[in-house]
Amino acid sequence: MDIYGGYRPTLENILDQVLNRFKEVNQLYQDQTGDRLYEHLIGRVKTEDSMTEKCQRKNLPLSPYSALKKNRDSIGIRVVCNFIDDIYTWIDLIDSWTSTKIITKKDYITNAKPNGYRSYHLILEETFPYQDIEGNNPGKYYIEVQLRTIAMDTWASLEHEMKYKHQIKNPEMMGNELKRVADELASCDVSMQTIRKLIREED
Amino acid sequence: MKILIAEDEPQLSKVLVAAMTHVNYDVDAVYNGKEAVELAGKNSYDIIILDIMMPVMDGITALKKIRASGDKTYILMLTAKAEVDDRVTGLDSGADDYLTKPFSLKELLARLRSKERREDDFTPTELEFGDLSLNTEEQELISHNSIRLNNKETQLMNYLMLNKDKSLSTEDIFNHVWKNEDNVNSDIVWIYISYLRSKLESIQSKVQIIGEKGGSFTIIDR
Repeated sequence: MDIYGGYRPTLENILDQVLNRFKEVNQLYQDQTGDRLYEHLIGRVKTEDSMTEKCQRKNLPLSPYSALKKNRDSIGIRVVCNFIDDIYTWIDLIDSWTSTKIITKKDYITNAKPNGYRSYHLILEETFPYQDIEGNNPGKYYIEVQLRTIAMDTWASLEHEMKYKHQIKNPEMMGNELKRVADELASCDVSMQTIRKLIREED
Repeated sequence: MKILIAEDEPQLSKVLVAAMTHVNYDVDAVYNGKEAVELAGKNSYDIIILDIMMPVMDGITALKKIRASGDKTYILMLTAKAEVDDRVTGLDSGADDYLTKPFSLKELLARLRSKERREDDFTPTELEFGDLSLNTEEQELISHNSIRLNNKETQLMNYLMLNKDKSLSTEDIFNHVWKNEDNVNSDIVWIYISYLRSKLESIQSKVQIIGEKGGSFTIIDR
């Protein structure tokens, strides 16, 4: 079956447009300031399997409505930045886009999850010239944006690997070690941010 | 080392101050317990020496007040030979050591050198201030979130927290945290204060380090 009910090509199309916008904004910022606002950028339309799994986990009927409206991460992009401040610059920029509405903001940077996870999550709502699942045309679509530093990204992929790919002997000890490393990486992020600020203040 | 001495006999005080200054200790002298409590609340000392029998406020009361304020400075009591109870009360009230009068200058200076040698071992591993706690062993700073500190950041935070609400000069901090180190100068203090400020912010602590580049710094609870 197709959990997206034929909407997948539309989602792919919207993903491309959103990614292009982030690339353009980054290019413009780079032209103006000489700094890149992200180190890399990735995006995906959630796979059939993981969307199905998520609906089941949340006890939602396996329908396009669940996939597109009840879940708001069918389209997801991840912006990986060099510095913590760049993340907040992005949020201010996105906030200023008139066509885009920020529906939720979750700051897991200043409110790190107990396991040490740090990132900033946004859910955006935007109108595109395609029909949506509720019959609106132009239609409304959700996009999940995850913003994090390179250190947070590396950590998250290691944590993901531990959680989903391996059967480890002493999960509690590894969990504690991961938490410690998360705090050490946060320390480096904050120190690099501070050094950049001190260097720039000298000018 | 910075030393506070409270001794009411002017002659003895003069001799002790001269001897300690002669071996390059930085000495503040006061003449009763009340003044000792006031100065201990204002400045950071490595050692506080308190005579027991003093006018206005005796040494035991001053000791109790200093400890009650959360001050963990090494305190040496000066007691008369006959007063066994005073020595017991002093130690039980938080004194670290005592010398019985009359004592030889040589012995006092030897005690100070001994303290100086093991100064680093005296700090507690868990410190708390406001919504903040510092585990010096794990080099972990905890409030709303937690974050790791490096060695110098830990030492600096430790020094600030042991001297909460006191004004510490860039010089004091440099001499304490970077003592006996080559290739650094006191400019490093501002860089590390900046790190700690950012880290306090990132764990959303209400504790702040106030002060400006090159000046004095104080850790306060907003």
